[in-house]
Amino acid sequence: MRYALRKLGLLVLTLWAAVTLNFVIPRLMPGSPADAAIAKLAQNGPVTPSVQAAIEAQLGVPGGSIWDQYVTYLNNVIHLDFGVSYTFFPQQVSELVAGALPWTLIMVGAVTVIAFVLGTLIGIGAAWKRGTWMDSLPTVAGSFLSAFPYFWTALLIVFFLGYVLGWFPTSGAYSATAVPNLSWEFLGDVLYHAALPAITILITSLGGWILGMRNTMINTLGDDYVTFAEANGLRGRTVAIRYAARNAILPNLTGFGMALGGVVGGSLLVEQVFAYPGVGYLLFNAVTNQDFPLMQALFLMITVSVLLANFLVEILYGVLDPRTRR
Amino acid sequence: MTRTARSGRRLAAIAATVAVLATAACSAPVQNKGDDSAAGGATSMLIAADNGSPTFDRNFNPYSSGKRNTTTYMYEPLVIINEMSGEETPWLATGYEQPDAKTVVFTIRDGVKWSDGEPLTAEDVKYSFDLVKKHPEMDLKGAWSHLKSVEVDGKTVVAHLQDEDVPAAKILAQQLIVPEHIWSEVKDPVTFTNEEPVGSGPYTLDEFTPNQYTLTKNETYWQADKVAVEELVQPAANSELDIVNNGYDWAYAFMSDVDDTWVKADPENNTYWFPAGAAISLIPNMTKAPYDNVDFREGIALALDKQVIADKAEQGYVDRASQTGLMLPNQEAILDTSIPNQGYVDQDTDAALASFEKAGYTKKGEKLVDSSGKPLKITITTPNGWSDWLQGVEQVKSQLTAIGIDVTVVQPQAAAYQKELRTGDFDMIMGTVGGTGQPFQDYNGLMGSEFRLDIGKTASGNFGRFESAEADDLLAELKVTTDEAKQLEITHQLEQITYEQLPMIALFYGGSWGLFSNKNFTGWPSADDPYASPKTWDSTPLLILTHLKPAQG
Amino acid sequence: MADTTADPTTTATPAIADPESARGAESVNGPRRPARTRLGRTGQVLGRAFATVWANPKARVGLVILGMFVLMAIFAPLLAPYSPHDDSFGRNEPGSAAHWLGTTGAGEDVLSQVIYGARVSLLVGFVAGGLSTVVAVVIGLSWGYLRGWGNDVVNFLVNLFLVMPGLPLMIIIAAYLQNGGLPMIILVVVITGWAWGARVLRSQTQSLRSRDFVTAAIFSGESSARVVFREILPNMTSMIAGSFFGAATSAVLAESGLSFLGLGDMATVSWGSMIFWAQNSMAILTGQWILLFAPGLCIALLATSMTLVNFGVDGLSNPRLREGTGR
Repeated sequence: MRYALRKLGLLVLTLWAAVTLNFVIPRLMPGSPADAAIAKLAQNGPVTPSVQAAIEAQLGVPGGSIWDQYVTYLNNVIHLDFGVSYTFFPQQVSELVAGALPWTLIMVGAVTVIAFVLGTLIGIGAAWKRGTWMDSLPTVAGSFLSAFPYFWTALLIVFFLGYVLGWFPTSGAYSATAVPNLSWEFLGDVLYHAALPAITILITSLGGWILGMRNTMINTLGDDYVTFAEANGLRGRTVAIRYAARNAILPNLTGFGMALGGVVGGSLLVEQVFAYPGVGYLLFNAVTNQDFPLMQALFLMITVSVLLANFLVEILYGVLDPRTRR
Repeated sequence: MTRTARSGRRLAAIAATVAVLATAACSAPVQNKGDDSAAGGATSMLIAADNGSPTFDRNFNPYSSGKRNTTTYMYEPLVIINEMSGEETPWLATGYEQPDAKTVVFTIRDGVKWSDGEPLTAEDVKYSFDLVKKHPEMDLKGAWSHLKSVEVDGKTVVAHLQDEDVPAAKILAQQLIVPEHIWSEVKDPVTFTNEEPVGSGPYTLDEFTPNQYTLTKNETYWQADKVAVEELVQPAANSELDIVNNGYDWAYAFMSDVDDTWVKADPENNTYWFPAGAAISLIPNMTKAPYDNVDFREGIALALDKQVIADKAEQGYVDRASQTGLMLPNQEAILDTSIPNQGYVDQDTDAALASFEKAGYTKKGEKLVDSSGKPLKITITTPNGWSDWLQGVEQVKSQLTAIGIDVTVVQPQAAAYQKELRTGDFDMIMGTVGGTGQPFQDYNGLMGSEFRLDIGKTASGNFGRFESAEADDLLAELKVTTDEAKQLEITHQLEQITYEQLPMIALFYGGSWGLFSNKNFTGWPSADDPYASPKTWDSTPLLILTHLKPAQG
Repeated sequence: MADTTADPTTTATPAIADPESARGAESVNGPRRPARTRLGRTGQVLGRAFATVWANPKARVGLVILGMFVLMAIFAPLLAPYSPHDDSFGRNEPGSAAHWLGTTGAGEDVLSQVIYGARVSLLVGFVAGGLSTVVAVVIGLSWGYLRGWGNDVVNFLVNLFLVMPGLPLMIIIAAYLQNGGLPMIILVVVITGWAWGARVLRSQTQSLRSRDFVTAAIFSGESSARVVFREILPNMTSMIAGSFFGAATSAVLAESGLSFLGLGDMATVSWGSMIFWAQNSMAILTGQWILLFAPGLCIALLATSMTLVNFGVDGLSNPRLREGTGR
């Protein structure tokens, strides 16, 4: 219990620090939101002084001293009120995030879970059959695929599956004329559009899970208690699953906690390439437009989810491996 | 605001490659017009006037910075100004008069109806001005930096100005007009997204989804007979590659190798027109040595081969810029013909070295050095990710290096660049100069002392902190003169100053990247008929939309 | 074959492979050896370590690829037919005898750019990978060894860095540290990249902490710092090397990602910026798909080579992971 309480205290502290960093970091960026908006306009041609004034009035320079801003910000965070986005003025940040989150959760989140489960299983298999082709094939392929830059894989996938073969649509979350609803038809459309980004993420992330699981698994397979279990005449598969895999999965689980939280940030490049209306795309827009409110909300969401995932994993770790509780 | 060619290129760059591939083969049901649109028969037009990021927000508030580009196809101004030539077309006003330098009288057109059937009146016009007075953040044209009050007099609207301010008429004329009977009900017009727009323009909003929307013709439009296109279809995804492959009728995009891409896609019908926009220039920081020295600035101007820079930056689509600050050839009518070579400064290394010598820099070996023997070093700032500017600057760098100057190029992110530009935190910085087609606006923004602030303060014009009593006097005079001949004379003198004093070193014209297809509609603006800029935002598209004719099939 | 090479190395590198007997005993009881022999010994150990890695077929392939890239980077001026910045050729030309891979949208030779691009990627990979490994080792080891509030403080720090989303954070830092060029990219990668390695190393430290030889060292009165860096560190050589190659891989990928988004130094020729410019000039539309493909493949191959080398490195201190060793 004390273990859990201490972890909880740490969680709250980290949460506060992360929230504060979320406040500080965007403000370290040189230039104001108005500067960003004017620069964007200036690409088109001249921005007259009066237009600049109007934009500054509209986007404004956040009022009050930094300290006042910070207090307001903390208060808003507690109430989950993030105000109005600069980039997509006058949309509410909360609405923007709510609009983008499902796409990322459905597409990227689901794929990450699939990749973890699949990768872990293949890793177990590879370790068990090590030295055979069932080991070398997935490990070499996995290390090659996981070395692909995300965006490049995405481009290749689009080229072959989208263009050469023409099997899948290559941008957007659903068809241009479709109206989001709860019909099977729309669901099918969504899955159809999610196919390519999902394949991209699956391919590039699968390798990491395979390699990680394989290596820890091989380690545990050599441990005394596994040898002992084998010597006691337990069946190979029982040993692999019951004894070795259960222990070997711990480090991988840590990674999974991190990855699940990092889903949002990690999806940035993929969502960019596929013009997928998820959180990653939103985040890129926010960052390049100095959209403080939107950035804060997104960063907060990401950090909180990573923290929670970590917290849960640590608690789980404590339960599964009493040694770490010391 | 408007998605730009360049930002489009930068941000959508990623999606771009993908999309072409995609759309060429896959059957994304973006098009509404398939094979049935044989030449001549189509009434619907596919446009790339607006970009989703990646999807559309439903915001048609004409005074919002985040509005959909096509909002200005539904809300109209009093007068449309073609910024390339300065030419004016009366629109919701049949014309305006300036009885004295402090008053502008707009006569409002009869018989104009809002799309809900209500008549558009002078009261609506007054209301629209008063609305943006109450909410300065909506005053995107800056009307109230000139206005004192607005009153209705029968069919006319009388604008009283703060000072004698003749050029203000052109600013007021561009104010977008909204219906009072709708907007007076709106609680907070600043954050109002106007999802069901009621406007006076040639189109009304039809279907809207986050991935695509359509505008249909407003049958009660006051010049409905001039509107040939029944429907405009605007998809959210329109990368350069979509544009080439999906059979767009009108798109605004920088297209690499346009003859080999856009034109090749349909050689019969696809055309393009990339007219000159504002001059992309090097702005020297004239509060600092040696940039405050006119001989030094002249040396830089003479050292550069601007056509080569233009070709590198914009793939040969645009020409070098005239040092007068005018957009040639469109503004030829107001060019002072006594300025040699139309104000184009040719590269002349010997003359450049002579100028540098006057400024105190002599050639020692391969380097230009000052009197103490220290080599000349300059820093040029250009925004990160604006790839065409960067390519131009790289060329500037290599040409200046050749003459013996050490050049460092720094590339802050766009917002930081903007901040450095405005606060004067630079040696030389890339920037756009002019481009409104209104001489007072352009030269005031370039040289006016009203914008000259100390280094560190945020300026909104005259970023190089140029100082010239002569220019100030001329600008003050131009501001109060209603006499057109006098205006032209002063403009000529301002051109002279710009040419001789070099408050900026003009490099090349920023292009407007208009891609058109003659397959379904003809009558696009072109070099032969430059009646409007090819751009898809602001009010000039109204000129195009009322100018198009169905193609003869 | 792998079996025969594996055996002698196992016995020949006891200091690394079999810590409990040799290393622990020596440090506790044995006198310090003179520096010269220690240096010689280090060389010997390195040589054997290399042999162990080389013995692994996967690692061998990785080393060969990596070596080729290193040579390509070093001898770029000799190998490349033109300067990577020479833009005096025709734009968007297809492959020809003069330009094997064609030219870019700005009229530069693609092959020359690919060759020179190796310099940036390798530099960023090795320097950023090295620096973030150093940070990860120092923090990871102290973290794994410390108990009580010290542990919590480090835990707190690492968690903080772990939960900040990497790529967006990089974008913001890149915006803040504008004009920095390559050092900026390296710094960004280090700041956002060390935490993961620290966490992995902590777990290992924690598990080593309960081993007998550490307990022995503690009972013999050694200081915490000494226990961590003299007793535990040497036993994690492979892990550290592994995390170096891991960090280098992600540094290479991060550099390419930043450049691809147009946030790096666009005037520098790197594989990432080549892809950026390829996108920018719509390479696929103009038939220049090789412009996109070649630099991406190089990034993938470089990253793969380092992952492959890691297979051999894993076997260094952990004979169980050596190729071909049965259970």
